[in-house]
Amino acid sequence: MDMEQLIDRLAADVKPVPRHSIARWIALGLGLGAIGSIATVLLAFGMRQDWSVALVSYHFWVKWLYTLSLGLGAILVTARLARPDAGRLRHIWLLGIPVALLATIGLVEMSRTAPGDWLAMWLGGSWRDCPRNVLLLSMPMFVGLLWAFRHFAPTNLHAAGAAAGLASGAFGAAVYCIHCPEVSAIFVLTWYTLGIALASALGALIGPRLMRW
Amino acid sequence: MRASEQQLRLWMIGGLEGDANAHAMLLRALVPLLQSFYRRRMSGRPDDIEDLVQETLMAVHVRRATYDRDRPFTGWLFAVARYKMIDHFRRSRIHCTVEDVADILVSEGFEDAVSARMDVDRLLADLPPKQADAIRGTHVDGNSIADHARRMGIGESDVKISVHRGLKALAARIKGPN
Repeated sequence: MDMEQLIDRLAADVKPVPRHSIARWIALGLGLGAIGSIATVLLAFGMRQDWSVALVSYHFWVKWLYTLSLGLGAILVTARLARPDAGRLRHIWLLGIPVALLATIGLVEMSRTAPGDWLAMWLGGSWRDCPRNVLLLSMPMFVGLLWAFRHFAPTNLHAAGAAAGLASGAFGAAVYCIHCPEVSAIFVLTWYTLGIALASALGALIGPRLMRW
Repeated sequence: MRASEQQLRLWMIGGLEGDANAHAMLLRALVPLLQSFYRRRMSGRPDDIEDLVQETLMAVHVRRATYDRDRPFTGWLFAVARYKMIDHFRRSRIHCTVEDVADILVSEGFEDAVSARMDVDRLLADLPPKQADAIRGTHVDGNSIADHARRMGIGESDVKISVHRGLKALAARIKGPN
């Protein structure tokens, strides 16, 4: 095609672009995905039965604080990587803060528990299922983010995939808190984080295939 | 005259706000910019470069929502252009897979690699063609001596001697003035 023709054709289709459109697409993709995740946890796993206890125990809030802060940090990184000129991610180490805080809580809890009970505390009643369930619940949000990325221009596709996977993994874990009655910090630190890491690794793996433009 | 960053940015923002005129001005101004960007970085045929420029214009148009109005426009533009160039290499299977693209873009090693390649080409241009071909065939493109000899229809020892003499001449030239 002739260069002039191309330019004329492109200039004939100039819709206004709202500010913060990256944030809008991400919010939409993540929001629709979250509906899918919450529906899945309610239908497939069911709610935990002890809400009156959970809501007043710090364990429950530690889990939510951990997963939501991790998810929020990851989504900021994801939004950055949606742009071609993302540059260097200098603040990525901040994502380590929730992990470090949870590890600290875990150590405090262990110091208050008899060493003989540590293994039970670490494995809980559901360590085998937890990472897989977190990964499963992250999928609707991961798909939502991949859809949002169809509008973006990432140039570091591994990193963008990993960040989107991390965000959906962390939010998937937050959704899993609706079902999971585990309480100990080292359980969450190990098995939740493992599920989140799996989601992130999956994202890094398939990001380059699905985010090309 | 080339449009300034300031001017390009204003046109871009105008286009984002729905001003078709500003958008057309922007795209027109980008054509020479992108042509020289690609010409400086790749030794492709003119057709390839025109295709890439068109592809990049389309990407600028379709992906313009990813431009942040508070940041420099040319940084965004050249990031898009670089991505399209590497994507082009990948599709024509010259250098790298798309998995490499990300790392290359991040480390900015790509420009270094390309300019190193251009340096090599410039140095080789000064050698007798036979020696330059021998070095390019065996050391740059990575063929075996036997392959290169067969391709050029000359003996293996001939290739070896050409490579040896060529490299010696290059070394002498690089050490040169000192």
